[in-house]
Amino acid sequence: MFATSARNISSKSSEAASSPFYLTATASGATAAAIGLGAFYYQFVAQDAYAMTPAEEGLHATQYPWEHAKWTKTFDHAALRRGFQVYREVCSSCHSIKRIPYRKLVGTFMTVDEAKALAEENEYDTEPNDEGEIEKRPGKLSDYLPSPYKNDEAARAANNGALPPDLSLIVKARHGGCDYIFSLLMGYPEEPPAGATVQSGLNFNPYFPGTGIAMAKQLYDGLVEYEDKTPATASQMAKDVVEFLNWTAEPEMDDRKKMGWKTLIVTVSLFALSVWVKRYKWSTIKTRKIAYSPPKHDTRIR
Amino acid sequence: MGIADFFSDLLESLPWPQEVHAEAPEEGEEDKEEGKEEGDGEEKEGGDEESKEEGGEEEGEGGDDGEEEEEEEEEEEEEEEEPEDPKPRLEEECARSAQCIGYKHHYEECVERVTAQHEDPDYKGPKEDCVEEFFHLQHCATQCAAPKLFKLLK
Repeated sequence: MFATSARNISSKSSEAASSPFYLTATASGATAAAIGLGAFYYQFVAQDAYAMTPAEEGLHATQYPWEHAKWTKTFDHAALRRGFQVYREVCSSCHSIKRIPYRKLVGTFMTVDEAKALAEENEYDTEPNDEGEIEKRPGKLSDYLPSPYKNDEAARAANNGALPPDLSLIVKARHGGCDYIFSLLMGYPEEPPAGATVQSGLNFNPYFPGTGIAMAKQLYDGLVEYEDKTPATASQMAKDVVEFLNWTAEPEMDDRKKMGWKTLIVTVSLFALSVWVKRYKWSTIKTRKIAYSPPKHDTRIR
Repeated sequence: MGIADFFSDLLESLPWPQEVHAEAPEEGEEDKEEGKEEGDGEEKEGGDEESKEEGGEEEGEGGDDGEEEEEEEEEEEEEEEEPEDPKPRLEEECARSAQCIGYKHHYEECVERVTAQHEDPDYKGPKEDCVEEFFHLQHCATQCAAPKLFKLLK
């Protein structure tokens, strides 16, 4: 009763009060202002501003089918030897590999005698002698590969302000890893695309973020002569040196993969064993049958 | 491939009595035997037991062809005085393929337009470059050429 009467009253009042013009105008204006403000906010505040150009990002590295990257494959140690040769003859004039000692080369792609002979080509500081003087001695297997410059400042001064990075961990240190290094080494076009600006002293390389790289194209066909008579095309040299750089970054990779497979095999078999033991122990419980045999019909009430 | 290779590698790595020769086996005899069994004795690695058992001539021939092609390519590269890099050739072929021809078309059109703008002294529009078009073409061509290139490299 009460509800129906209330509705009657409200409907009557709305019919009676037809809205005056100024109310309609105010409401329309407010709505228009709200929409306009919303549009303004979306246009100038809410949207993210993307100021990066593709040139600043750099071209994403091409994916190459690296053999050593597969789960069941190791480094090709002949390629490592070739790659080290490329590093020594081409890259080492500007780039260092500080973190690799000569002893690491032994057994990987060199014999002891070769590595010793290589180490003795360079001089290293001795311990202070009786008079506190530091002399020079030929290198030993425990010494690290020599750097081309004394320090980073010297390297910058010699290279027009650009620092050639240390290559020990470069494959791990760059997004794209092996693909990036290979693409960068082989990616110098014959001439930059039309309209692209290249600063003086820099070279155009699409894979380098910003496209202006201080390093010029280094690998040319037939630049080195491989011991094993592999044709030294630029691609071949790039592939070998990238594999070598991957080894310097991850010298433990071969062992790591072996250990990984051992771990997988052992854990999988142990897991299978544990599943079997569980099923064995639970078999009596899982296979039991619970039966209810009702008491025989007995009308007697005790 | 992968998992099967792994198991065969495991088997090979076990110290089971394998065919161990103190001295290099004489190749002449093996070649003769293979020649008798398979007819054409060009297969150097043709000691596969499977191919012998199955006697599959088609498989044998297929293997022969593949090896011959590889050998020919290697010989070509070795014969040349200055080894020629296959990468630019492969990428050029890829850029002309149906896969990348669209990007190539866009790039060439852009180069034409931008060079015309540069040469035109009255041009006052916005500065353009073809970096983006170049990136698209380059990405397509190198990705298409990547597996082909790595087959040729050692």
